[in-house]
Formats: sequence, C-alpha cells, structure tokens
Amino acid sequence: METTELSEISEIGNPRDALATLVTSSGAKTALLITKEGIHLEEAGDTSYLNTTALAALIAGMFSATREVARIVGEQQFSILLQQGESRHIHISLVTDATMMVVVFEDYQRIGRVRHEARKVGSRLAEILHHRNDRDQARKEISVPQFKEYALNLIDQIFTKR
Amino acid sequence: MPHINYDNKEINFKIVYYGPGMSGKTTNLVHIHKMLQPDHRGEMVVLDTDEERTLFFDFFPLSLGRIEGFFVRFNMYTVPGQIYYEASRRLILEGADGVVFVVDSNPHRLPDNIMSYGMMQDSLGTYDIDMQQFPLVLQYNKRDCQNPIPIGTIEKEFKLDGIPVTESIATQGAGVMETIRLATSGIINQFKI
Repeated sequence: METTELSEISEIGNPRDALATLVTSSGAKTALLITKEGIHLEEAGDTSYLNTTALAALIAGMFSATREVARIVGEQQFSILLQQGESRHIHISLVTDATMMVVVFEDYQRIGRVRHEARKVGSRLAEILHHRNDRDQARKEISVPQFKEYALNLIDQIFTKR
Repeated sequence: MPHINYDNKEINFKIVYYGPGMSGKTTNLVHIHKMLQPDHRGEMVVLDTDEERTLFFDFFPLSLGRIEGFFVRFNMYTVPGQIYYEASRRLILEGADGVVFVVDSNPHRLPDNIMSYGMMQDSLGTYDIDMQQFPLVLQYNKRDCQNPIPIGTIEKEFKLDGIPVTESIATQGAGVMETIRLATSGIINQFKI
C-alpha cells in the first residue's frame, strides 16, 4: 500500500517542478508557493533579488486582509490578486484552502499568459499537495523526545547567555 | 501545529506577541532581533504608521538551527494593539503555536489589558485552540512605572493557573530574552508530529 502511494506521488511530480514549468511557460521571473500562514514552501526561477521569507509573510497578511474585504462586500474570497508596478508585477492566486502561488513577472503584456499558466499549474499543484503528507514522512525520521531535548538545549544556549 | 516541509526539511513554528496598544510588543521584538547573532535572525519587517504604531504586524524569522536533520525556525509576529484593528489581530493569530501576552503594567491600563486578553481568548477560540494546552507566556512589561499592576492580577481575572509569568522593562531589554526563552521552550514541550 505504501509502495503504491509513493509511486503515485512520484508520478504526480513535485511542487518545485510545477513552479519551474510555470516560470518557463509564462516567461515569469519568479514563482513561489506559500502557505496562508506566510511560510514559504517552494520556489522556482530567479529569487536572488528577493527576501522570500519576508515576502511570504507579507503576502499572506495581504491575502488575509483581502479575504476580510471580500467578506465585507459579500464575497467568500477573491481568488486572485494582481499588483501592477512600474517594471515588476505580482500575480497571487489560491491553490488550496491553505496555500497560494505568487508569480513575479516583468512584461505586463504577458498578464494573459501568466494568468492562464497560473491556473493550469495551480490545479496541478493542488493535486500534488493533496497527495503529499509531510507529517507522515517526517514522523519516520524524527524522534520527538530527541528533537525536544536538542531544541531545548539550543534555546537555552541562544537565550540564556544574553 | 507547526508547519513541516519535508522536501525542504524545515519545521516552522509561529509565535505571536499580543497585548494592548503601546504595551511594548514591537519593543520586545526589536530587542530580541538586536540581541541575536546574525545566523539566528532574518530581516525584520516593520509595518507601522508615522506615529510608530504597528499598522498590520511586525515580523522576523528566528532560526534555531538544524535538529534531527530539520531546519527549525520560529516566525515571530506582533499584532497591532489598537482596538480598531481587531480583524488584523484575529488573522495574525491564525496558525499560532504560542503567544506572549504583553501586559502594560501601568495601573490605568488595567481595563485595556483585560479587554485585550479577552479578545485574544475569543480569537484563539475561533481557531479551536484549547487554552489549557496552549503555550502562553504572560509578560508584565513596564515594571519601572509608578505603582505597577501587581503580578497575579491578570491570572486571577482569567483564572490562569500555572501559566509562565515574567516581568520586564522592554525598553531596557530587561526580561525580554527570558520571556522568549519561556515561550519557545513551551512550544517545543508541546511539539508533536
């Protein structure tokens, strides 16, 4: 059973490859997958100019705020956000209830393409994430008592000596 | 529940500094950020108004290091304290693994502290969080003020037994690192996969 599930996952692919496909097919500069809590999960394309951790936190906050705005005007949520800049633009779309995809692109003429590819890759990502179970995988590798012991030691080292 | 990314071998926890406006939440974060070695901290994001009041949140990632092959990080957030930002506060609390409640020890701020704590409890309740099990540290800040609120006031008001309590003067850094030590330890002690 486990073997079947694992082979299914490998056939479906991984989020990074899906994002890389999006970058190539849409001509985007960067694509990120983040959680609604603002955690950066995966990335593709050029990220050298970005603080991806801070960006993920800010975009998640922005998306949450927009969700409240949607509710105020009688919508469940806005599934896409678009920010147009001078030379860079951001397209944000929901992938699942808990994740969203962020695409940074430079040529605004390509917005149609970005939107189309984001929708296509978004469905694929949703399928990949549906089959993924990070907790089960981590459970096989992490001994919780040991993890706690090491972590508590590190915490004491980092915070006590100051 | 922390976020585990198996592919990247990362475990992310979320800590939120909560409390009434001007109680010292951002001051706590700024001090921690300043005191940490560069390899333990990421860039700090501050979203404030011209009057230096937090508008949406302040944030920085605190890296613990690699444990059992996984990179462990605490994402540190503050909420805006002003009454009218309740919706923002509720959103920021979503997914929190632990909270530091920063009490303003000025006696005239007691009603604000109580109101803010009540709002926090209500918001955490909407996320189905069991307050009995939830890692929470109560930090009585501004202990250098005149006639500070006695320790035990908030605990008595909300029937909090055995909750970790610290005293601090965040503007001087006193008690700030002890608070974050207790908060992170509390979260780790509750860690499950």
